[in-house]
Amino acid sequence: MKSRANHKFSLAIFASIVLLASFASAQSLNSGAQPIALNAQLAESLTVSLSANAVNFTLAGGSTSNPGSTNVTATTTWVLKPGRTQVTVDAYFASAGAALTDGSGNNIPSSAFKISDNGGASSPLVNTVAFGAANAGLRLATVAITGANKNSNRTDNMAFNIDLSGGTLPQLPAATYTGTLNIQAQATP
Amino acid sequence: MKLPAKTRIVALIAVLTTAWIGASAQAVNSGAQTITLNATLSESVSLTLSANAVNFNLTAGSANNPGSTSITATTTWALRPNRGSLSVYAFFANSASALSDGAGNNIPSTDFQISDNGAAFQALTNTVPFGGANAGLRLANVRILGNNKQGSRTDTMNFNINLGTLPSLPAGVYSGTLTIQVQVI
Repeated sequence: MKSRANHKFSLAIFASIVLLASFASAQSLNSGAQPIALNAQLAESLTVSLSANAVNFTLAGGSTSNPGSTNVTATTTWVLKPGRTQVTVDAYFASAGAALTDGSGNNIPSSAFKISDNGGASSPLVNTVAFGAANAGLRLATVAITGANKNSNRTDNMAFNIDLSGGTLPQLPAATYTGTLNIQAQATP
Repeated sequence: MKLPAKTRIVALIAVLTTAWIGASAQAVNSGAQTITLNATLSESVSLTLSANAVNFNLTAGSANNPGSTSITATTTWALRPNRGSLSVYAFFANSASALSDGAGNNIPSTDFQISDNGAAFQALTNTVPFGGANAGLRLANVRILGNNKQGSRTDTMNFNINLGTLPSLPAGVYSGTLTIQVQVI
């Protein structure tokens, strides 16, 4: 009786050893984990590109309607950091009194220069904006920046006009008047 | 009967000679001393990398933002019998934020891609033995046979970040840790 019990005990020990051996061989073997540091930089950017860089006007003395020879489309593209809440697009001159000049003291002020943006009403450049001289600008667009448009773009199709009907402009002498209109965007804060 | 003296002397010499010869032919052995020999060829699998950092200059919305360098992972192994296969894995700890700017803006592992040994780029979207769920990619699987229980392999990895599906990712510096690890089963 005792011999049979010993036999069973031995069998149980043997079975346990076999089981443990099978577990040991099923144990996976892992290498050490090797890290690779990743650094990715998405630089902040804000650009404006224009479809053309020159507009001509054939002026008629005293006329309210002296349209530019072509429209110009400004494409503003941005990639912004978190915290930016607004993108603005401004058109401006360096001087409100002499947006265009003949170089001899005869000037066309910015108040006589008008822009229609994307088919909207034609507005003179009489505001103080982020760039340029006081009272020499026009805000073309204000875009609120949210989580959905931190990377985006917009287009402003500008039609130009010079109004020679105001003030002393009906007496503007014949000449060639030149000037530089600037388009610039700003992201804030 | 008494032998003559000469005969007795000859007989004595013969007996002594026989005894001497007998004595010198008998081997004398010491006890056997045993030496137990144990030779262990340890099982091992190791992984080394040619570099530990990769930089990316990202272009917003672009599907093609390659890493600054490729990295070669060299796996070397010496295995016991009964090992069936060896796999090399790449993984992140978290699928949703493989890289992060630390301000809540993340690049998920689905947009991080590896091309192994010139093969097509694949995103880290699988659940592998290491790392986060859906944050891994098995680079290689080697069947272990009798002739490759000791062996090595190299995996040259090229990296890419696909921002085509993340067009609104804000500008920033995004950092993360990609881990390479090997498992033998």
